[in-house]
Amino acid sequence: MPVAAAPVGAELGRLMRGREALRASFVQTWQVLSRRHDPAALEPWAAGTLELVNVNAGASCLLAFWRASIELSTRHSPASLGMAARAAADICRHAGARAATEMLDIYPRLDGRLATPDERSAWWRILVGLARAAPECVSLAAASAERLLAAGGPDSFETFVMTGLKVGTDRAKRLRFFSLEDPLAQRLVERAGGGPGFAELEQGLKRFLTALWAGSAHFQPNLQPLPTPAGNEVSRRTNIAGPVIRLPDIFAGVNGDAARSLFRAAAAHAAAHLALGAPRFAIGKVKPVQMACIGLIEDARIETRAMRRFPGLRRLWAPYHVAEPVPEPLASLLLARVARGLFDPGYQDPDALIDKARNLFRDASPRIEDPAISFDIGTRLANDIAQRRIRFDARGYLVEPIYRDDGLCLWDFGDQDAERIEEVDLAIDAARIERRETDEAPEADEPEQSPSSGRARPKAADERGIVLGLYPEWDATAGIERPDWTTVRSVAPAAGDVREFTRALERAGALRARIGRLVRAAKVGRATRLKRQAEGHALDIDAAIDAAVSRHAGETPDERVFISSARHQRDLAVLVLIDTSESTRDRLASGASILDIEKIAVAMLAEAMAGLGDDFALVAFSSAGREDVRLTHLKRFEVGYGQAEASCLAGLQPGFSTRLGTALRHAGTEIAAVRSFRKLILVLTDGEPSDIDVENPDDLAQDARRAVLSLHARGIDTFGVTLDPRSVGSGAKIFGKANAMPVRRIEDLPMRLSELYFRLSRR
Amino acid sequence: MNLDAYRVSIEPYYRSVGDEVAIFEAAYASRLPVMLKGPTGCGKTRFVEYMAWKLGRPLITVAAHEDMTAADLAGRFLLSPEGTVWHDGPLTLAVRHGAICYLDEIVEARQDTTVVIHPLTDARRVLPLEKRNELIQAHADFELVISYNPGYQSAVKDLKESTKQRFVAIDFDYPAPALEAEIVAREAGTGGELAHTLVAVAACSRNLRGQGLDEGASTRMLIHTGRLIAGGVPLEAAIRSAIVLPITDDADVRDALDAAIAACLP
Repeated sequence: MPVAAAPVGAELGRLMRGREALRASFVQTWQVLSRRHDPAALEPWAAGTLELVNVNAGASCLLAFWRASIELSTRHSPASLGMAARAAADICRHAGARAATEMLDIYPRLDGRLATPDERSAWWRILVGLARAAPECVSLAAASAERLLAAGGPDSFETFVMTGLKVGTDRAKRLRFFSLEDPLAQRLVERAGGGPGFAELEQGLKRFLTALWAGSAHFQPNLQPLPTPAGNEVSRRTNIAGPVIRLPDIFAGVNGDAARSLFRAAAAHAAAHLALGAPRFAIGKVKPVQMACIGLIEDARIETRAMRRFPGLRRLWAPYHVAEPVPEPLASLLLARVARGLFDPGYQDPDALIDKARNLFRDASPRIEDPAISFDIGTRLANDIAQRRIRFDARGYLVEPIYRDDGLCLWDFGDQDAERIEEVDLAIDAARIERRETDEAPEADEPEQSPSSGRARPKAADERGIVLGLYPEWDATAGIERPDWTTVRSVAPAAGDVREFTRALERAGALRARIGRLVRAAKVGRATRLKRQAEGHALDIDAAIDAAVSRHAGETPDERVFISSARHQRDLAVLVLIDTSESTRDRLASGASILDIEKIAVAMLAEAMAGLGDDFALVAFSSAGREDVRLTHLKRFEVGYGQAEASCLAGLQPGFSTRLGTALRHAGTEIAAVRSFRKLILVLTDGEPSDIDVENPDDLAQDARRAVLSLHARGIDTFGVTLDPRSVGSGAKIFGKANAMPVRRIEDLPMRLSELYFRLSRR
Repeated sequence: MNLDAYRVSIEPYYRSVGDEVAIFEAAYASRLPVMLKGPTGCGKTRFVEYMAWKLGRPLITVAAHEDMTAADLAGRFLLSPEGTVWHDGPLTLAVRHGAICYLDEIVEARQDTTVVIHPLTDARRVLPLEKRNELIQAHADFELVISYNPGYQSAVKDLKESTKQRFVAIDFDYPAPALEAEIVAREAGTGGELAHTLVAVAACSRNLRGQGLDEGASTRMLIHTGRLIAGGVPLEAAIRSAIVLPITDDADVRDALDAAIAACLP
């Protein structure tokens, strides 16, 4: 029993003597540990236990700790166990005794996954952090821990927990995440430790497919991740839905360069299906085994055609054809061998089916462009399989090799009776995910709004933001300026979907590249020539001639006869004012709203300005009466342009009206505080100023004009880009003819806006 | 002055891909200025050389650059021991003596420079030299040809509308695959099969235009590649040196391009 050299242990011993229910277990644990360590070395362990007692963790928690201590005694030091106890006590403080008990219960089980002391302390640190931030989620998170630790160690688990905490402060959402009801959480668990996955490789794959197949009619490299089916852990195959290639997030167990190659192989195969004309066979009375065989021949057919055009694809696909003769009479194994036989001319296989398939395929090769041969040969092979009574497991069937797609794109499931659906379902169960052509329909996330012309929407009073200032307004009718007439409020930006936004930006790749070139040109190419210099890199011919003439005339020649060049110094601050009034909700023929195009245009401009290192701010504005002119700062002068700013930009929503003059006055106040030689306010608006409390919109246009003039007097240039497809606009009236640029085709806006910027910034 | 140095004496290899020869001849018959449009390395310059040879005219080529002034085209006073002496610029030379003047990549020059060609390209056909106070009536054989690549030049660098509208334009593009292979095989001295492979590689890179690449591999690049191979460089290395590395600095684009090229190689 504890002795004087170990005061904490002694105290613990005294405490335990008075606890009937615990005494026996404590003594037993103590004995097990004392056999390996002397009492002084057990002090940290005793301190940990004492901590658990002090936080009132309860008997079951102490028992759990002792069980763990006995189980781990051979491998863990008392200090390490004490650390676990202290962490458990911390968890108990925040998340309750039950969570702490559970963590101690699973701890021994995870021992194999937490090999080093560092990993163990990381594990407890993550749990304590989680208990502090989201106590209700500790037990749920621990349920996924074993899988995550197995796949990627504590780092994977930490990523999972941190992602979960970022879901937000909404308890229900967090619970959904940690109980893996959230698809994001499922994906994280599924792909833990794997990689690179689809998300990392998407861009490269898209380029790869574009390079190969962009010349083919109807082919657009449209890639999407394959939705994760709930609770389905089988490895999956690529799926082709309409024109979209859907690749798995990861191929389980394939990492690094192997993953890169496999994704390429899979993408190239699926793209070959699309580019070389995907046939659609009517499902009719086709049986699952026939579907499999026909799919197999069709795969071989399109691969043969693809390899005729791109012989190197053979090298990409060949490593995955590894089927070997095996005695098991399973159709899936046999089909994989047939696949290899058709792909690899050097492959030898004793089974007659492989030779038969090869012969049929070879005989049909003059008609290789005709998908009907796949149907024909496939059906005959399926008959052979049926006659030989080889078992075909429709439910468990997975197309082999792994890079091939699930083959469902070949089938037209059109009108079919219920019985057939069931049979087909059986065949495709393993790979099937409900078909959603477009996962994110742009309209879906927006609440239905009345498609009014956009003027004058009443506002909700409680969402008014912080007051930034009061501004005067010009009353043109009365001919007076009303002091402190309007109130400017700051509204916090809402975060939007950066991923979707980035995709939209990527679709405009050519344009971005052009703007990128403008940026580079503006950055480096702008050397100005200085003539008649005292020194320089070349003779100034004109000055030299003048000097020679002077000399001949007997005068003192001017010695400044050189040309030199100097770099153009940029010293520019730009504030971009973005109109988000209700009318920007209008949709164009392309389906995008005006605001969508505005966002893209501003994002490109922002990238350009960031690239040039110019000081800039992005401010969105709208108004709901003079008391409520709303400004949303998407990016302020002092911060850089990054993901957060892009997200704010993406999150802009249309609404309310356009009180331009007030917005301009406030923008002037903000930009005036910036130290820079040139100051420029760029206004992006889709029409005339208006507001709910102003009857004659012309008043506001006059006010805006006055605001522009007063800014000009303060040395701030204002430039208006007006979206004006019907060319009625008052842009010239407000900004002056030279400072207004009406954009007739709204789709042109991104280019025009950036062009304008380059033009203005050069002046 | 003798322009023999500017004459094209040996027939340059040029494989006609459409009606461009006929159009040029017709334009030359009426001395209409010609604009050649198209991506880099697709044969614009070679075409002009060929036409100069075919029509038996000297060819004066000026590569435009952004520091080029009107004086660089028209001429300037230079110093001599006695005082100043006028020196004709390349354009003036062609105008006086009846050559084909080819202004390559004209948009690279500043817009104020290009306006000197305006009086030459309408009915007047004159070149005013205000420094010499001289008005040169163009020689009867004088012909102006400019080339212009609308693709890669930036938005700020575009021809003025008033310049564009003076020209007859001939649009060039990379030849059809079979034809391009023939050209590559002929120019690089490679086998037909290799030429076809190179053309397939070029097609891949051209598909990436606007998706990370500003321009795809040109016919000229393919010929360079073919020559490297003929010089003993292995196929992959030649493609890498002559195609992939020159057209992109972006590692991600290069990876995708490499993968696509690997698919093209036998």
